[in-house]
This record gives sequence, C-alpha cells and structure tokens, in this order.
Amino acid sequence: MTLFSLEMILFKLALASCTLCTFGYLLSLLIKRVMLAKISTLVLAIAFGFLTLNLLAAFINSAGLTSLGSRNFFIFFAWAVSGAYLGFQFKTKTRLLGAFISPFILILMIAAAAQETGKSLLPENLQSWLTTLHLFFAIIGEAFFVLASCAGAMFIIQNGLLKHKKLGKMSRLLPSLHDLDRINHLCLLWGFPILTIGIIAGTVFAGLAWKTLWPVDPKIIWSFAAWVIYGFLLHQRLAIGWKGSRMAVLSCTVFILFLLSFLAVRFCFTTLHDFI
Amino acid sequence: MILLIGLNHKTAPLAVREKLFAGCEEKKNLLSDLLGLPGVQEALYISTCNRVELVAVMDGEGKTIQGLKRFLSQSGGLTDQEVANCFYVYRDQEAIRHLFRVAASLDSLVMGETQILGQVKDAYRQALAQNATGLVLNRLMHRSFRTAKRVRTETTIAANPVSVSFAAVELAKKIFGSLAGKKVLLIGAGEMAELTGVHLIANGAEEITVANRSQAQGTALAGKFHGKAILLDDLDAAICDTDIVISSTGATSYVVTEESIRQSMRKRKNSLLFLIDIAVPRDIEPTADSIENVYLYNIDNLQDIVDENMKVRKKEALKAEAIVEEEVIHYNNWIKELEAVPTIVSLRAMAEGIVRQEMGKSLGFLQKLSEEDRGKVDNLVKSVVNKILHAPVTVLKEESSEVSSKGIVDAVRQLFRLDD
Repeated sequence: MTLFSLEMILFKLALASCTLCTFGYLLSLLIKRVMLAKISTLVLAIAFGFLTLNLLAAFINSAGLTSLGSRNFFIFFAWAVSGAYLGFQFKTKTRLLGAFISPFILILMIAAAAQETGKSLLPENLQSWLTTLHLFFAIIGEAFFVLASCAGAMFIIQNGLLKHKKLGKMSRLLPSLHDLDRINHLCLLWGFPILTIGIIAGTVFAGLAWKTLWPVDPKIIWSFAAWVIYGFLLHQRLAIGWKGSRMAVLSCTVFILFLLSFLAVRFCFTTLHDFI
Repeated sequence: MILLIGLNHKTAPLAVREKLFAGCEEKKNLLSDLLGLPGVQEALYISTCNRVELVAVMDGEGKTIQGLKRFLSQSGGLTDQEVANCFYVYRDQEAIRHLFRVAASLDSLVMGETQILGQVKDAYRQALAQNATGLVLNRLMHRSFRTAKRVRTETTIAANPVSVSFAAVELAKKIFGSLAGKKVLLIGAGEMAELTGVHLIANGAEEITVANRSQAQGTALAGKFHGKAILLDDLDAAICDTDIVISSTGATSYVVTEESIRQSMRKRKNSLLFLIDIAVPRDIEPTADSIENVYLYNIDNLQDIVDENMKVRKKEALKAEAIVEEEVIHYNNWIKELEAVPTIVSLRAMAEGIVRQEMGKSLGFLQKLSEEDRGKVDNLVKSVVNKILHAPVTVLKEESSEVSSKGIVDAVRQLFRLDD
C-alpha cells in the first residue's frame, strides 16, 4: 500500500467518523440523552485521531510545508476546531456543545472531499514559509472563534430557558451557563493572539512580496475588521467585565456577520485571496 | 410459602411506627427469635422510620400468621386495636410484588427516593450475617435489588428533584456548573433557607454568610455553617462578593431592590448571580430578573419546577410498575419450578438405582469385556436412561413454572411409583 492510498483511507475514515458523531450529537439533542453525546464525543476523538494521522501522511507525501494542498487546508481547519473542542472537554463538561460544533466540522470535511486531491492551495508565486505560517495561525485563530460563537449560541438558548424559569428536559441537557461562558472566554483569550500572529505573518509576506504591508483587498479589509472587533470584545471582557449573555450575543452576531460577508466577498469580488 | 407482614406510613400513624421501630431496634436477637417460631424456615425484617416489614418463608400456613403478628406486636408493645388496624399481610405473589415495590421505592413516602434500597440491602446483610436466609429469600432479595436497579436505569423516576431546596441546587448547577468554591449569602435565618444552604454546601458550595436582623440568631446560624454573620445594612457590599443569594426574611417591603443589584453587578463585573427568594411577601424586587446575568427565582417558580418533576415521576411510576410485574412473574416461575425439584431428584435417584441394580446383575458378562468396552457399555446405558428421563423432567419444570406443580408432580410420582 502506498502512502498516498493510506492518506486516502485515513481521510475516508475521518469523514465517516465525523458523519457518525454529527448524527450522534444531533440525535442526543433530539432524544435528550446526554449518554449519546458522551459516546459521540468519543467518536469525535477517534475522528480527531484519524485527522491527525491523515495530516501526518499528507505532510510526508507533500513536497514540503510551503505547498499545502487545498484539501489539506479544510482538513486542517476541521482538525483545529475538533482539537480545540476536545481540549475543552477536559476542563468543562459541555458534551452537548458538540451538537453545534460537529455539523461545522462535517461541512469542512465535505468541502475537503470536494477538493481535487493533489491540487495545491496556493498559486506558485505565493508559496512561501510565511504564507504557510500565515495560514496555520489564521486557521487556528478562526477555529477558536468558531468555538466561541457556538458556545455563545448555546449560552443564548440555555439563558433563555433559565430566564423563563423553564427547567425542563432541554435545560437539563444543555451545559451550564458558567461552562459555556468560560469556553467563550478562553476561546477569545487564545484565539485573538494566535490570529494576530497569523495576520503579522501575512503582513510580513505582503511587505516582502508586494513591497506594501497592506495591499488594498476586500478580504484583507474584512479580516482586519474581524481582528479589531474580536480584539474589542476581548478588551471589554477583560477590562470592563462584559460577561454572560451580552458576550454570547455579540460573539454570535459578529461571527454570523463575518461568515456572511466572507461569502459575499468570496463570490462577488476578485481578491488576492481568491484561492480560499 | 412466602409471607410478608408489616406496616408503613400509609397504614400506621407515626406513633405506632415509632413504637414498633424502637422495639425492633432494641431486640438484639430478633431474627433468631423469629426463626424459633414454629414453621418459620427463613426470615428477615426491614425497619425504617416509615415502615417495618417482616418477610418469612413458612412450611405451612395455619397459626403462623397469628404467631408472627403477635411477635411483632409484642416487640413494639402495640395494642390489639393497633395491630388490627395497621398491619397488612401479603402471601406469595403479593408478598413478592410488595417487596419489589418497596425496594424500587414505589411504596415510599417520596416516590423514587434512593435511601430505601440501601435500607433493604442493610436488612438483607444483617439477616445474612445471622444465617437467617436460605435458598428462597436469598434469591428473592437479589431479585428485588435487580428490580430496583432496573427501575432506576430504565425509568427517570429518580432523575429530577421533588423538593424546593433540591430544585434550587439543581438550578444552581445549571447556572454555575460546579458549585465548588461558590459563595452563598443567606438573608434571614429561616428554616427553608437553612435547608437550602445545607444542600448547597453538600454539593460543594464553600463560603456561607448570614445577614439577619437579629444579630444573635444570625451568628447562631452562621456558626452552624462555619460562616460569618453580617448586619442587614452591609447587604449591598455582601451581594457584590457572592454567587448565590437565598432570601427568606419576614420583611414586608423589599430587602433587596433592583437598583442595588444593578449597582453590585457593576462592581462584580457582571459575573453570574443566582437569587432565590423564598419569602412571602417577596424580599427581592421582581424586576431584578430583567438584569443581565441575574437569575431570580421565587418560591412559586421553584414550586412549579417541583410540580412538573412530580408529574414526570408519576408517569415514570407506571413504567416502573410494569418492570416490577415482569420481575414478579420471573421470580414466581422460579419458585414454582422449585416445587418440582424434589420430584426430579427422586426420579433421577430411582433411575440411577435401576441402572446400578441391572449392571450388578450383568457383572459376570461385563467382566469378560475389556476395560474400554466396559466403559462404553456404561456410557450407553446412562445415555439411554438420560434420554428417556429428559422429556418428563423438562415437562415437569415447564408445567410447574407456567401452570402449577400440583397435578404434574402427582402424576409423575404415580407413574414412576416414586412414593412406594
């Protein structure tokens, strides 16, 4: 068996286990059993293992880190989100949060499957260790923000139930407010500096390649706006003490706005980042 | 025959239960006295504050029920009138069902409470230590534990709290996750507030502060929790530094206003605040609930949760009864099968006797054979006998467990002349 076919098998296994855990999580939400979410978390951990091996195999297969395959870009994103989520499971009991995270991971995996194998993400002229660094940190930073807003969305639901004095099956099923808020907090705390490093790497590359630090480009402007807003949220959280429902609503809104604007830019403009 | 005699909170007033409970506790060798009664083969007794039950395996009925009743009434010093009114007697299947229902907490004052199973287990352990149980009771008790476990796992009868203070603890957990290290402020030294405080501490809450109008009473309550007492005037400062507030004063106007909470939320950097107002009239201004990250529950809110949970329990109890019924049938079949056992044993003994006798007669012929061939003949004879006996034994077991052992056992004994 060649290393390439091993990579393919690992990818398929990862895709299958991601699908399985997504259904498991959604079903646990439907039939209101935490046990099923716990099992799904285990399945997700297995999926994470496959993703890690898949990335390793892809790394050994590839010519080097600079020519990242476009499929691996999505796999890496899925890996980062699931890794961050699983990491938090050691600290907090928020198994049900997976019901919001896993569909996102599954979409990324499907997007990855849709990519041609062996197709390089970056055009030849953009391949550099700086762009790799830029992508690496930007993806991990974004993964944390995805998690922050999923936790925020769940917080809004649980908050609504508790404010309306409804301690029903749903409320018992969902994680506690404190745990969800803590995830939101930690995600902002970790995501922001990591994204900052990613942006700096991109800037340095732009400076070297195009002799300008900030090429005027819609996607760059949006990303910068995202960075500023997340920075603002983090500041409000740490210095002013914005917490709980306000933070949850804000991080959700910001995330949805950026997702929409990203899609708009993606399909309506030509940008330097056309490959994503 | 399995016999169950006892009384519980439904049949006997507290005064009677108390007397009997104390009487049973005092008697050191109650079990051996019980076994000394005529006809009693196995026995055990369960005694808790809500019930005293006596389970016995008898080898006939007759006067034994009266004997057991007298035994119980003497232990507790009860009058004849009380005995006549309070005791219930269950036999066989009914006794099995009653015991299973008790172990599964379907017969409890608070249905679905978990303590009773431990008490039943203790009772069994005690009987086991004194060698008071045998084949029938051992299996009966294990089956009752199994039933209780099935009810616990297959229904949600014990899942949700049915008391106001436990509901408050569950809510606190849904807000804070773990209660470890959480600070609790009690306003007023009411009994309900105290109880809720006890439950919160049992679940990990650490610091307790008591604010009360009467300093002495406040200090006394704070002492119980190893906490500190403060004056009502310092309330606002205390709220800034607390996670859970339980208010139960007798004040006629609001003790905590929306404005004061708003101000303390600013100081506490908006961290989550759980307010429990169990006072009537209310202590905390209801509009405080509209403040972000503040969760205000009054006594009605908590009672609604409890009522809802109670409804769920009642619904789940139906499922539990079905499980009990299933287990009763299971056990009853085994008991009935047991009645056929002596007949099966004597049937086999008879067959073995015939084999031994006939083999003895053919000893001369057998000795001519080699060692190996003799073994083969031996096996042949045994397997023929076993094959012939297989059908009657199976039918005997099936018929006994499914219908009754009476007719079939008599028939087999007659057919094979087992009683000659």
